[in-house]
Amino acid sequence: MFTEELKAFKRLGVRHILLQVLNFASVIASGLMIWKGLGIITNSESPIVVVLSGSMEPAFYRGDLLFLTNPADERYQTGDITVYKIPGADIPIVHRVLETHDVSPKNAKSREENGEKVLAHQRLLTKGDNNYVDDIELYQGLEWLERKHIVGKVRGFLPYVGYVTIAMNDFPQLKYALLGGLGLLALIQRE
Amino acid sequence: MDKHSGFGIFTRINNVSAFLSSCMMALLAAIALSSFLFSAQADGDLAISSIKVVSSNARRYPNKKQDLAFVNFNITADLSPLFHWNTKQLFLYLEAEYVNKQSVKNEVVIWDRIVRRKEDAFVKFVGKNKYMFRDISSSFKGVPPANYSLKYNIMPYVGVLQYGEAARTTEEVAFPEPQSRL
Repeated sequence: MFTEELKAFKRLGVRHILLQVLNFASVIASGLMIWKGLGIITNSESPIVVVLSGSMEPAFYRGDLLFLTNPADERYQTGDITVYKIPGADIPIVHRVLETHDVSPKNAKSREENGEKVLAHQRLLTKGDNNYVDDIELYQGLEWLERKHIVGKVRGFLPYVGYVTIAMNDFPQLKYALLGGLGLLALIQRE
Repeated sequence: MDKHSGFGIFTRINNVSAFLSSCMMALLAAIALSSFLFSAQADGDLAISSIKVVSSNARRYPNKKQDLAFVNFNITADLSPLFHWNTKQLFLYLEAEYVNKQSVKNEVVIWDRIVRRKEDAFVKFVGKNKYMFRDISSSFKGVPPANYSLKYNIMPYVGVLQYGEAARTTEEVAFPEPQSRL
């Protein structure tokens, strides 16, 4: 059954296989570069996220794609939609800012240094549009959300596109089917 | 099966799907950019009719005191100009802005509403705050007067989220002395 493939393999030789490996590696590397580059431009560790829960319905549904930025010199305002990650929680949460409290640092000197000091002391409270109560129970014992917990604020929105990743998580069979299908296609197309 | 001829079934599927997806992307980008052409502003009125401060127990620590403010207000706002073909919904919110005695700058949302249709975009509301209004120092005693503003967030079908302000109180509203019962 595989004799023909094996023959083809032998004919193409080591050089061809190495070239394929190199191609594959460069695809992965450029993807990573784009992702990390976006991360540097937006100052966010994860500039694109997929909505995983229905707590922001009807604004965002599961599978919608969100584009984030996190400018270091910009404060967060009420009404902004933030993505935050509490240490110890495994998934980031997308919720809207309900309260901001800008606590200025104790001594005036550090306030003069740069704006960042003041921003670092911003305390936030968030709430999902579709939830009845604020998020204080989600903060795992913290009183307020702080700047260091925040991944970014939502700037752009693209519906449905992220659903592929959710579907692959919910139905692992789909993941294998997709991978197998792509592999098969690559095998057939080579000739 | 022959990739050089360009007539293989997979080559065709590949070409057609690539073409369709780039058309789709261009269309979505055009729709997203078109939002910037609609720069309409919403207009409204906001009046604070009364405000009370009540001393109560804190949410997490039952033997700690916490002042809660109860604000009654009237809102009239015509948000229909904000509805265009790329408006999925509006998020309308009323916030209090004040600086407390410890010079902490505060913004607190006390009421919100989601407007999903143009038919519901004329908002007329008389009522009180929906969310707990408290100061982080747990007391409103001696806190300077606050400003209130009605803001909105335009959420698109695809594209960029936009923000704006529909109304603002003309005069600052002072916090009264706390009372023990409402």
